[in-house]
Amino acid sequence: MPPRKKRSSTAENEVDKPKKRLCSKKSADSSFSVKRCTTWFKTYCSAENDGSIGPDGMEKFCKDLGVEPENIVMLVLAYRMEAKHMGYFTLNEWLKGMTYLQCDSIEKLNRKFDVLNASLSDSVTFRNVYRFAFEFSLENGIRSLDKTTAIELMNLLLDGRWSLSKEFMQFLEQSKFKGMNKDQWYNVYEFSHHILPDLSNYDEDGAWPVLLDEFVEWHRQRSNKTSETGVDC
Amino acid sequence: MPLSYISQSSGLREDRQQNEDIVEPKKRKSSSGSNTCNSKRPKEDSPSSAAGMTDNSLDAQRKTALGPQNNGFNRNSSHIAHTKGGSVKKLVIKNLKEKPTLPANYQQDTWEKLKDAVNAIHTQRSINASLEELYQAVENLCSHKMSAQLYVQLKAVCEDHIRSKANQFLEEYLHREQFLKLMNSCWQVHCGQMTMIRSIFLFLDRTFVLQTSSVTSLWDMGLDLFRMNIVSNPVVQTRTIGGLLHLIERERNGEAVDRQLLKSLLRMLCDLQIYKEAFEVQFLEATDRLYGAEGQRLMQEREVPEYIAHVDKRLNEESERLLHYLDQSTRKPLIFCVEKQLIEQHLHALLQKGLDMMLEQNRVDDLALLYQLLSRVRDGLKELYVAFASYIKKTGRIFVINNDNDPEKDKDMVQQLLDFKDKIDNIIAVCFNKNEKFINVMKESFENFINQRQNKPAEVIAKYVDSKLRAGNKESTEEELERLLDKIMVLFRFIHGKDVFEAFYKKDLAKRLLVGKSASVDAEKSMLSKLKQECGGGFTSKLEGMFKDMELSKDIMLAFKQHVANTKSPDNIELMVNVLTMGYWPTYTPMEVNLPEEMIKYQEIFSKFYHAKHSGRKLQWQPNLGHCVLKAEFDAGRKELQVSLFQALCLLMFNDSNEFSLEEIREATKVEITELVRTMQSLACGKARVLHKSPKGKDVETGDRFIFNNEFRHKLFRIKINQIQMKETQEENLNTTERVFQDRQYQVDAAIVRIMKMRKTLTHNQLIAELFDQLKFPVKSTDLKKRIESLIDRDYMARDKETSNQYHYIA
Repeated sequence: MPPRKKRSSTAENEVDKPKKRLCSKKSADSSFSVKRCTTWFKTYCSAENDGSIGPDGMEKFCKDLGVEPENIVMLVLAYRMEAKHMGYFTLNEWLKGMTYLQCDSIEKLNRKFDVLNASLSDSVTFRNVYRFAFEFSLENGIRSLDKTTAIELMNLLLDGRWSLSKEFMQFLEQSKFKGMNKDQWYNVYEFSHHILPDLSNYDEDGAWPVLLDEFVEWHRQRSNKTSETGVDC
Repeated sequence: MPLSYISQSSGLREDRQQNEDIVEPKKRKSSSGSNTCNSKRPKEDSPSSAAGMTDNSLDAQRKTALGPQNNGFNRNSSHIAHTKGGSVKKLVIKNLKEKPTLPANYQQDTWEKLKDAVNAIHTQRSINASLEELYQAVENLCSHKMSAQLYVQLKAVCEDHIRSKANQFLEEYLHREQFLKLMNSCWQVHCGQMTMIRSIFLFLDRTFVLQTSSVTSLWDMGLDLFRMNIVSNPVVQTRTIGGLLHLIERERNGEAVDRQLLKSLLRMLCDLQIYKEAFEVQFLEATDRLYGAEGQRLMQEREVPEYIAHVDKRLNEESERLLHYLDQSTRKPLIFCVEKQLIEQHLHALLQKGLDMMLEQNRVDDLALLYQLLSRVRDGLKELYVAFASYIKKTGRIFVINNDNDPEKDKDMVQQLLDFKDKIDNIIAVCFNKNEKFINVMKESFENFINQRQNKPAEVIAKYVDSKLRAGNKESTEEELERLLDKIMVLFRFIHGKDVFEAFYKKDLAKRLLVGKSASVDAEKSMLSKLKQECGGGFTSKLEGMFKDMELSKDIMLAFKQHVANTKSPDNIELMVNVLTMGYWPTYTPMEVNLPEEMIKYQEIFSKFYHAKHSGRKLQWQPNLGHCVLKAEFDAGRKELQVSLFQALCLLMFNDSNEFSLEEIREATKVEITELVRTMQSLACGKARVLHKSPKGKDVETGDRFIFNNEFRHKLFRIKINQIQMKETQEENLNTTERVFQDRQYQVDAAIVRIMKMRKTLTHNQLIAELFDQLKFPVKSTDLKKRIESLIDRDYMARDKETSNQYHYIA
């Protein structure tokens, strides 16, 4: 019984009532309805994108959620939906993600944000999100991220999580590498995860891609230089 | 039996031996009462027991058998029997009526007699009684069971005597050597006396002493007394040993000493059985000290060759010492001690200080000695070959490494390496006994240093071979050339980057073949077969292809000549074409140039001819490989100019006019400008100047003009004008190297895929290890990593999702 009631009410006013319900009928509210979810989806999709949420819809979605599109939460969300392309959600993806999160309204989703953010502190989830981000950000038919995208994405994902991320991005900026392929992208995470900030446990003969070898060399040279000049001063 | 026995028992010595023989069996057999005993028994023992073999006589027999007395009586009684036997036919032995008794003070008197004799011996007087008499006296005493007492008495007399001698050794005034001499003479005298005494008391020695285990033989008793009373005295012993050691030290310091004295005294110590404890220990300590100090000092003072010569001398001296006076048991510790102090202790210093210098100066004898000395000590040879290896590496590096890339230096590299190899080979053969280990170490070291510099050694070796195989190299006979090639192959074997060698060798070979400058086909073929043997057919297939092309071209040209003779030729120009299979030969960048009409016509004729034979093939002309012979009319007469095709094109223009500008020539020939500049330089600024340049100068610049040199003179009729090639080789060089690297990338990729396909899953390190194993050229692991990443990117393989240093093959 309760679901039906709810369905009608959510269909009518998405924005106004949830607060009340939040207080009064917590248990009833938490149950999930596929139909409501589909309806919710419809509010963002447009015909020109074959029934998917396109860039315009996405912008609106973000606005309604009150987050920037660049927010990492959006990436986590996309990961939960297993979205194929950046800036697009299909109905299937939407339902998959929302079902997982048990969300069928913007308020519920809003409330889930903390959970989503918190899930990033789990290293397995984070790694999956990180890996997902690569494929998600690829442009059609291209096998590697161009340098700018890679740096932006890395900034989004690793800034604050890896003490060397700033240096790495700086290195990437000035290096001769034109972009990052999947292997390099994956390994940067492993590197950030396993290698100490002072690089003392880095093994040059290990399997690290050359990109990381060169980063380490670059970093060591730089820190040598700074320490030398420091002495001179 | 008895008769023969008597006749034998006359001599003292023989007698003793006989008795010995007889006493033994009696001892064993008398108890069983066998016949052999019986036959002798009657004459020798007391009358009562002589008749029959009664029970109680058995007892007596046993006693006599145990006692030494029977011998003495034996002789006497048998003599009696003999005289009796002479008169009567039948020998009848009757019991004696009465037991013969000894005179009352017989023992006392006899001992007095013996004692006198012993004293006479001790005081070196002549003995009053005859020796035989004395001997018999001893025999008699023994027969009457007085042996034990006799022994004690004798010992007491000897001891007294020796004690009296002992004091002289405690005298302070004696000089070391005097002391030793005194000791020696005392010892000699003692030995002489003891021998004499023993001879007299031999019967005692052979019976009582032998049968009584608690006493020592007379000789040993003498030694015991001598040891206890003289040598064991601490003062005497210290003086003796000290004196000996001093004497030996003096000899070691080069003085001549009385070796006889040393020998005799050391024999004495041996005989007294105190050689080891009293002498050897101290001797070895002294040796240790001496050579320890000497080693330290001489290592400082002397050069290594002098030092090892000295060590050798020392070792010889010590062996001689062993031969002359030391006991053989000392050999091992003594030699070991010398080796340790003089060689082992200084092993590192020796090698560090001397080896490089000796190798450098090729001091074969010294090195042989060093090898021989070091082989004596533990780890000596190991250290030697390690040092040897590092010398080779160090020296070789100097030849190979060339930081400034100075071409002059690189030119000599191969010759230096060959000489160096010869030298090292010789040292190993002559000095190091052709030791397998050294040969291996040498190979390793060569391989190590040659590959310290990438590619260049391979390149210069290829060029060196070229210089030897090129025509005009008349300095060596065929056999010498063959031997040289063999040596070069040895160097070649060390090189990791064999592909670099192949690339340069191929390029040079192409030049030799195309310009017809190869000195001898045999030598070329021999080199080729050597390469094939070394690296397999895959390595040489292209080179062989080149030779085949040349042979085919010859046939084609024969056919073509006939063809031209049949169809009317447009001019009397000869054309010679080499058809080269693409892929076998180095790649040449094709150049478009304007050829004179006659040449183009000729090319067309050939193309038609060739295509008629082999349809479907594509012919591409390579003008930069061509060369021509031009006839030229100068004022001084006719000349033939042997020039490259480019030179020919330029020169042919002067048929029409006497003067052209650089631009005009460029326009007409379409030769590429840098090439043209070089060509003009060779014609106008080289040795044979068939053109004048205005303005004059070494370099050709834009705007220069060229005028035909009508006054050209040369002593030869046919003149070769060389192309200036300097710059081109550098460019070619880079190209060749680059191509080699590209080839290598493919090889790396192929190897990775091959390995992964076989193993399916491998860790990074395993894969790298396998790659190093498979790849025949030197690679850095970074390069391998790049290739792995590229293959991952192309989905030939994938990194494991969890463990990032593991790879999977993707089918």
